[in-house]
Amino acid sequence: MYKYKASKDTGSKSWVLQRITGLALVVLMIGHYILMHYQPESGHTYAAVLARMQFSWYRIIDLTFITLGMYHGLNGIWNIFRDYKLKQWAKLSILSALVILGIAFTAWGFNIIFSIPYINSFSGN
Amino acid sequence: MENDTHSGGTYHKIKTFDQKNWVSENLNYKKDSGSNAWIMHRISGIALIAYLFLHVYSISPLTKGEVAFNNKMQAFSSPVFMVIEWFLFAFVIFHSLNGIRIVIVDWADGAKYHKQLYRLSWVFGIILFLAMGAVMFAHELKNLF
Repeated sequence: MYKYKASKDTGSKSWVLQRITGLALVVLMIGHYILMHYQPESGHTYAAVLARMQFSWYRIIDLTFITLGMYHGLNGIWNIFRDYKLKQWAKLSILSALVILGIAFTAWGFNIIFSIPYINSFSGN
Repeated sequence: MENDTHSGGTYHKIKTFDQKNWVSENLNYKKDSGSNAWIMHRISGIALIAYLFLHVYSISPLTKGEVAFNNKMQAFSSPVFMVIEWFLFAFVIFHSLNGIRIVIVDWADGAKYHKQLYRLSWVFGIILFLAMGAVMFAHELKNLF
């Protein structure tokens, strides 16, 4: 019945992914709060960010975090729109706007993280 | 069998969702814990994705080096922003706990006790919210007492 006309996609994959990414985000969010905001300095000074970003693991975690967060958030917004009967053109334009927004802001976030330099003298990896 | 539509009996007019008046339809709907959780999950979700965009923007001075970043962060360290961040944490905590509740309902037979889970998540949420306030405003609290 859900396959009627519009699409062969029943949305079940995105439903499962929404739950998996949600659970992952809860774990990442706890880590984010403890590591970044336990002390005011750890999130709010350049020196602390620079020191942290010498470890590639932090970069990988941040890249995962923003990717999952963008996917989960924008998929959630799309799920809200899916609850309402929309014209085909409205569906298409909303979906493409969300995809473009997601890709643009994810790319911006990646760019910010990659722009932070590795310092040779620092004993990181 | 009065309601049997096949035997030519009376048709019952089924009330469906009136999309044109969706605001009043939503407001007039008799809400229990489940629908309250549903609507708050949406509101907090929209707020969080909006904040994620803002967060990418706010840390973007990292590309411009130390001075630009520290200046920007100075603006976010004011007490007003800290209170806003505290309430942002309330949205995070509601969305996380209710999200866990949704997963339990979907995957772990939670439908049988979803109302208890809802109340439990409020209790946990308020405790975490107050604890976060105590951590965030430890300095201010110390000056008060």
